[in-house]
Amino acid sequence: MRLDRLPTLRINPSETCTLHYNGKTSAGVAGDTVATALYANGVRVFGRSLKYHRPRGLYSLDGECSNTCMAVDGIPNVRAENTPAKNGMHIDAQNVQGSADFDWMGFMDKLDWLMPAGFYYRTLHKPACLWPFALKQVRKVAGLGKISPDFKMKGRYAEIYPTADVCVIGGGAAGMSAALAAAEGGLRVILLEARPWLGGSFDYRVSPYDGEKALYQRARELAAQVEAAANIRVFKHAANVGLYNNNLVTAFQVGPEGGAFDERYIEIRAASVVVATGCIERPLLFENNERPGVMQVGCAHRLARTYGLLPGRRAVFSIGHDLGLEAAVDLCDLGMEIACVADIREDGQNPDLLLALAEREIPLLRGWVAAKAYGAKQVKKVTLRTLEGSVKRQLECDLLVASAGRTPLTGPLTLAQARLRFDAHTGYFLPADLPAKMHAAGSLTGRNHPLAIEASGRLAGLKAAADCGANTAEAVAAAAARLSQLPGPERGTKLVMAPVKGRKSFICFDEDTTVKNIKQAIDMGFDVPELIKRFTSAGTGPGQGGIPGHNLPLFAARYQALAGATPVPTTARVPLVPTLLATYAGAHHDMCKRTPLDELQKRDGGVFRRIGVWQRARYFSEDFSCREEVLNVRNNVGMLDGSTLGKFRLHGPDALKALQRVYVGNMVKLTPGKIKYSAMCNEDGCVIDDGVVVKIAENDYYFTTSTVRAGETAEWFRYHTRYDGWDYHIVNFTDALGVINVSGPNARKVLQKVADADLSNEAFPFGGYREFVIQGGIPVRAMRLGFVGELSYELHAPASYMVCLWQILAAAGKEFGIRNFGVEAQNVLRMEKCHIILGVESEQRTNLLDLGLGFLWDRHKTETKTVGTVALRQVEADPARLRLVGIEMDDPRRAPRDGSILVDKRIRGYVCTARRSFTLERSVGMALVEAEMAALGTRLEIYEDECNGQKLAARVVPMPFYDPQGNRMRM
Amino acid sequence: MTRIERRSPVQFKGRIKKWEVRDNWTVALAYEDEGQGPFLVDLSHITRWDLQDKSLSRFNQPPGKEVPELPGSCRLQDGVLVTRMNRTQAVIWHLLSGAPDLPAESGYTDVSDATICLALFGPNALAVAEKLCALDFLDPGKQVPFLLQGPFSHVPCQLVLMERGRGFDGGLLLTCSRGYAESMVHAILGAGAEFGLKPAGKERFTDWLGTAFPAQDTSSRKGKPA
Repeated sequence: MRLDRLPTLRINPSETCTLHYNGKTSAGVAGDTVATALYANGVRVFGRSLKYHRPRGLYSLDGECSNTCMAVDGIPNVRAENTPAKNGMHIDAQNVQGSADFDWMGFMDKLDWLMPAGFYYRTLHKPACLWPFALKQVRKVAGLGKISPDFKMKGRYAEIYPTADVCVIGGGAAGMSAALAAAEGGLRVILLEARPWLGGSFDYRVSPYDGEKALYQRARELAAQVEAAANIRVFKHAANVGLYNNNLVTAFQVGPEGGAFDERYIEIRAASVVVATGCIERPLLFENNERPGVMQVGCAHRLARTYGLLPGRRAVFSIGHDLGLEAAVDLCDLGMEIACVADIREDGQNPDLLLALAEREIPLLRGWVAAKAYGAKQVKKVTLRTLEGSVKRQLECDLLVASAGRTPLTGPLTLAQARLRFDAHTGYFLPADLPAKMHAAGSLTGRNHPLAIEASGRLAGLKAAADCGANTAEAVAAAAARLSQLPGPERGTKLVMAPVKGRKSFICFDEDTTVKNIKQAIDMGFDVPELIKRFTSAGTGPGQGGIPGHNLPLFAARYQALAGATPVPTTARVPLVPTLLATYAGAHHDMCKRTPLDELQKRDGGVFRRIGVWQRARYFSEDFSCREEVLNVRNNVGMLDGSTLGKFRLHGPDALKALQRVYVGNMVKLTPGKIKYSAMCNEDGCVIDDGVVVKIAENDYYFTTSTVRAGETAEWFRYHTRYDGWDYHIVNFTDALGVINVSGPNARKVLQKVADADLSNEAFPFGGYREFVIQGGIPVRAMRLGFVGELSYELHAPASYMVCLWQILAAAGKEFGIRNFGVEAQNVLRMEKCHIILGVESEQRTNLLDLGLGFLWDRHKTETKTVGTVALRQVEADPARLRLVGIEMDDPRRAPRDGSILVDKRIRGYVCTARRSFTLERSVGMALVEAEMAALGTRLEIYEDECNGQKLAARVVPMPFYDPQGNRMRM
Repeated sequence: MTRIERRSPVQFKGRIKKWEVRDNWTVALAYEDEGQGPFLVDLSHITRWDLQDKSLSRFNQPPGKEVPELPGSCRLQDGVLVTRMNRTQAVIWHLLSGAPDLPAESGYTDVSDATICLALFGPNALAVAEKLCALDFLDPGKQVPFLLQGPFSHVPCQLVLMERGRGFDGGLLLTCSRGYAESMVHAILGAGAEFGLKPAGKERFTDWLGTAFPAQDTSSRKGKPA
């Protein structure tokens, strides 16, 4: 039965939903989480623990531990406490053999003595042959949840990148006050709240805020103000996951059912940040402290007030702060029997709450604590002891509300490099100093009085506004004065654990780490929390340290009892709460470039591959040897889309100097109408690019680069002339101009049909550059090049005309049997001619001379220094360099794979490109080999991947393999 | 004989209701079912010039079409948007009217084919943009129109914010390398689906520009058709 008339409810009992769990159908209501819906249907055991397969149940209701991690619609490790219930969801328990209630692996709980801290580091390694077997078994049982490698994530994932002046993390009273204060002057404010509603710890409490209203009413009042403010942007159900330099705040937001997204990643750039994340509870350490039926104060209270579910029938409270007393009173009023409240504190309780307990005849034991919970799958009984352990009392109950104290959520501050120090008064780890433009507010600072929480929020919001240039000095002073008049941070409890041995007192629920394990680790010398964490795994589970984060350093300090030692917290890391990788991936648009001829080539049967940022047609048939494409170019004529080539205009009075700086060739010798092939080196003399340069007019040049270097070329020029103050300018034409390569002995015949220029060998010879018009309307820049070793025209035309130009050429070439050839055919053709492709025939260490391109280097340039030439001079006589050589395979039908290594007793080089040549009817290629193996006729052995020791044989042969005199290019 | 025509790399799936041919371009003037906005209009056919010189101030002719002083600032007059990119570079986009011939000075380069040009405007247009980039279009410290340069859907872009209305209403012009056309349009339409973003024709853009900049003579048709 739901308590369906409470004013604090966040559910709508009139709207139901259906979940499927354990072969049964469970009914939930709108607003339920998966966990609360199951709880309403009597589910108490939600899953089993990692090592010991202990039953686990609701504990925090905020997903602070893996207790209620479940598989939801096939997705493992979903935090059921934080996940909204949706109609038709299929839920499965995790880490069970059988069911959550009856787990065949439950016997593991009896074997804890076999698994001391770090047992897998220390045992199962001797004899050595045991470890591979043990490893498999450990891996089988380790990890939570199972997912298929080919599981396809459903859902819609999005991302947004908002900017704000002030970002407030935490939508409780302090956060809302901060947001309102920061927004007063018109600044842009973003408010992040992890829960689906604003209000924080005020949201569900009926205690008085002031004389007129209750806390929950105040929360709603503030929320209405925040949501009405035009300059405050509220992201609810948006958990903060990261905080980086320069106040980059990241979060993920769960979308409403039927909304535009299921989850989305939020990346906020803010000038100032207010962290008002509040506190969670510090778990109480006692025997069986994670048994289903043991839950935190906030969990029990919110189950009733937010979800309308009484957490049990008869409860015992073992608490250490006033929120526990408040919850006991309220739950009693809601109809739950409170058997007893054991308060760790001897004194310091709120007198009003003590009076309320007395009025309800709820027994209060001061200085008592829960020592042990009983019950196999659900709490049935509890032992309470005095703090020193001398007196005990047992009480029957089905609910044990347990909490040692509170602990601030300082994760965002830690990520921002704030130093935390232990505060003996509150017992909290509090920031000793905050980074610039970052402020903390609310109960995070130790304040618990509602008015003080709000006042600290307002003060932080005003300070944040000042960070953005707002004049808030007076307001800040007033807010600070107001805060100083309100109650300050309250004294916290000092108790670390109940007086028990700790064999089954769990300090980390996710990793089944007990107090005993921590003692073992410390006894073995792991004496600081960071080491203990790694050795015992405490705090490394899905809860991201939520449960052990505070207790681990406290216990480590207490156990070692070092004089003067203060507890040191472990480090929080992103993501602060578990997030789906799909959410990080967001919409995942695959941004790639396509040439102007993309669609035409697809229509012609192009098989595309991603090459750098481009999608390119690599093949035009299913025959990936490209035999027909290659032979058609050799014997007839083919067309290639070369639009990805880098293309640039360089102009200005100092353009020539810039060319001289980056190219190894001498560009003074350039004359209009002729092209010059040259290369660029880096400072080490290694070749980074090659291409051709054309002089268009005085101080005006056009040059090409390789596809992969196009993106960096302009920056390369600017970088290497940055101190010279030269007056030149560069325009990137890479996308502006498409390129069609018409190659083959019939290329001239095709082009002559449509061009308005004389294309004879005399009028337009090899190495020439001309500008003419195709079919009276398309302007082209044409180059006579021979990359594939045949008569070739490289036509550069405005990209918008490219489809039209291609169609014109295709029509003109129809009578000659013109056909497409792709990148792979081009690769074979140029390889037969031994024309290199940088990045294929070279790698990072390959210099100009290694590749035999020394002839491009003009050593007599004097006007400007050329990048890389100092290094080239130094290595010129170095005999230990690799050399590019031609190789021919002994077996003419079998070429090695690219990248295969050349070996004798050691690696002597590698194959750059090798293919079976249908033109030459032999298998040839190029390889980079050590200089001593570069002599013609040298025998080489090639080791391929997976060759099983069967090496291939080759020998060094002269280059090029095809048309060594180059007659065909010049025809 | 193949008809000489120029093709935009942007191909919307919507059905064109009205179009015209200008300077070998087929320009979609209106699409069927353009919706209520936001709208995405392909302006890749408009003439765009790159202007680079050591001293850009010497190109301040004719009056009213001066190159703005500060990088990032823009000037719109007679349908021509002049944007200062950096110390030595500006771009000139002929948004409405056709462009005259490219000036003879060597500093000018016609880069119309180098990029795509898209207009994204209408209700929630800036919310669409926020899903694709971290650039701050809503910075109250900047007066429209202004230029931002940076990644938009991970692609380097130039973006000119032309209008900023209530909330996320507004409009911007975007250019990026032509090769990214298909990916960029896919990303923008995908991001805008939740807001009802649809492709629209040039007329929608002209109307919007006239509303956003009432002082503009948006109906001018000087020079060659755009």
